[in-house]
Amino acid sequence: MNSSLPRTILSTISPYSLAFKRQKLPISTRVSGPVSFPSISSIPSSQKPRIPLFLRPPIFTTSLSDLQKWQQWANNLALSVGSKFVDSDNGPDTNILCREVKWLLEDAVEDKSILCQLVSPENGKLVKLRADLDELYCLWKQRIEERRPFQYIVGCEHWRDLVLSVQEGVLIPRPETELIVDLVSGLVLEEEGLREGIWADLGTGSGAIAIGLARILGDGGRVIATDLSPIAVSIAAFNVKRYDLQDKVEIRQGSWFEPLEDVKGELAGVVSNPPYIPSSQIVGLQAEVGRYEPRLALDGGENGMDDLLHLCEAAALMLKPGGFFAFETNGEKQSKFLLDFMTQKLATNVHNLEAISDFCGIKRFVTGFRR
Amino acid sequence: MIMAQSISKWMRNPMVAVGTCSGFFVSLTARPRTLGLQIQVQTQIKAFSLKGGSSSSGGRDFLALSDEELSRQCEMDTFKASGPGGQHRNKRESAVRIKHLPTGIIAQAVEDRSQHMNRASALARLRTQLALKVRNAVDLNGYQPPLELLQILPAKSTMRGSDCGSQIGPNNPKFVLGMQALLDLMFAVNGSVSDAAKFLGLSTGALSRLILSDDSLRMAVNELRTSKGMRPLV
Ligand SMILES: C[S@@+](CC[C@H](N)C(=O)[O-])C[C@H]1O[C@@H](n2cnc3c(N)ncnc32)[C@H](O)[C@@H]1O
Repeated sequence: MNSSLPRTILSTISPYSLAFKRQKLPISTRVSGPVSFPSISSIPSSQKPRIPLFLRPPIFTTSLSDLQKWQQWANNLALSVGSKFVDSDNGPDTNILCREVKWLLEDAVEDKSILCQLVSPENGKLVKLRADLDELYCLWKQRIEERRPFQYIVGCEHWRDLVLSVQEGVLIPRPETELIVDLVSGLVLEEEGLREGIWADLGTGSGAIAIGLARILGDGGRVIATDLSPIAVSIAAFNVKRYDLQDKVEIRQGSWFEPLEDVKGELAGVVSNPPYIPSSQIVGLQAEVGRYEPRLALDGGENGMDDLLHLCEAAALMLKPGGFFAFETNGEKQSKFLLDFMTQKLATNVHNLEAISDFCGIKRFVTGFRR
Repeated sequence: MIMAQSISKWMRNPMVAVGTCSGFFVSLTARPRTLGLQIQVQTQIKAFSLKGGSSSSGGRDFLALSDEELSRQCEMDTFKASGPGGQHRNKRESAVRIKHLPTGIIAQAVEDRSQHMNRASALARLRTQLALKVRNAVDLNGYQPPLELLQILPAKSTMRGSDCGSQIGPNNPKFVLGMQALLDLMFAVNGSVSDAAKFLGLSTGALSRLILSDDSLRMAVNELRTSKGMRPLV
């Protein structure tokens, strides 16, 4: 079955060697992710969430013409990049960066409607800002010169119809992952047992999937979100609160299913986007990802599947009969491997296994049901 | 059209709760993608006009669909992915392109910050394109403008009853429906603004002004007029 996979992957599936593998690692080495990049001194060592730019009070004032000068400067910096980042590590090009300039302005001004006046600013007209103009200069420099991710600069990411707070220490939710919520939404429309049940989002990060799910479940449905990282737990809690979902989403700190012993065999659904990048590929990642995002959120071990394999095995026991699971993977190879693995080892517990493509046509998710 | 309104609401305020509405619908169970009706419409569109017969309302049917139903008729892909995507990338794949399979019309959106919102924008654009490109047959004998068309007419139209409410402008998502009905009429009268104006109880000048008030409407009318050897409206 696995002829296309390297031997080393095969060796990882010896039963129970994979369960709880990650947790045995000293946690300190795993959490130290983004700090390796020296120029960011502002990484919060505390776990207190930073307020995203668009939620800060508009207590700064500048003239419209000074803001226009900033915009020109920022666009010029973006222009100077050309295809340099694309060529070096498939990073953003000028077009994308110019779009980010616009988004940064949208988040920074109190009143977005003023932005269309930037083309020909009226003399002496003032604008209220949520950050000092000097800070905007500094932030955009970090974006271009240090490749700090745009989402960490503004402190948020737009994901589905949500705006989620993010900061260094927490993975920026990816567009691909939006589909997990769509997959579940199709199911819960049809099945009350799933709509009104308990769902688990494991490794919740910013809380993206958990919040997305909470908004499509029925009145009786709720979500338990877990993460090992204390920063993720506090950011997820912040986001859950902002969407007023404290009654529907409960956040527990701990490793994968460990904090869920009390609901063993009762879960209506389990979803996760666990770390799945093979360790050896971490160094070559796009600068925004490799230098800044937490390694704990990305590194899936030698073959990238340490956590996925554990989740597949454990989900079969944690779900109630008829319960649904969906896991994001690195693509075709991992999806196929996991389907084969489950068909061979877990067929008595799970069925209706499927690999589902993302919108780029990459087999991105494995899904199935508990028998 | 409630859905279309809610889309424009999300776009203005991402915090607005949308309840169970996911905008797009992906189902695990396979669903038939093309229904008889759609195939029929497709062949008719090739002829660029739905032939006679009051039974078929083709393009109007598409616009009457909910977002979920309409998106089920679409194929969606993000712009070509380079590399493995997912966790490997700082999100850059949020641009969306949708293809409406029954008509082959393509709509896309890149400017929104999430894929979900780009999908909503692309779908709103698809609705506009459907209104502009898919024609319904109009029987001019005893023609009565449909309500959605009356709603976009200025108050001075003599066809307009008090029940039409105030005039709906191009920024209202309902405008698309009225625009489609107006274009159906314009095609039925072969592009003559004065003939259409009579059916709508308006002066020729008032109808011209309405057509010129929206860029895409103006271009569609002018394309029609040029094809009939008439002067474009300016
Ligand atoms: C790829 S990120 C996904 C975050 C979020 N669900 C999303 O999709 O944006 C993986 C997450 O798993 C968490 N994680 C890593 N190891 C874990 C473990 N042993 N138990 C629980 N969570 C873990 C990381 O902290 C990170 O938040």
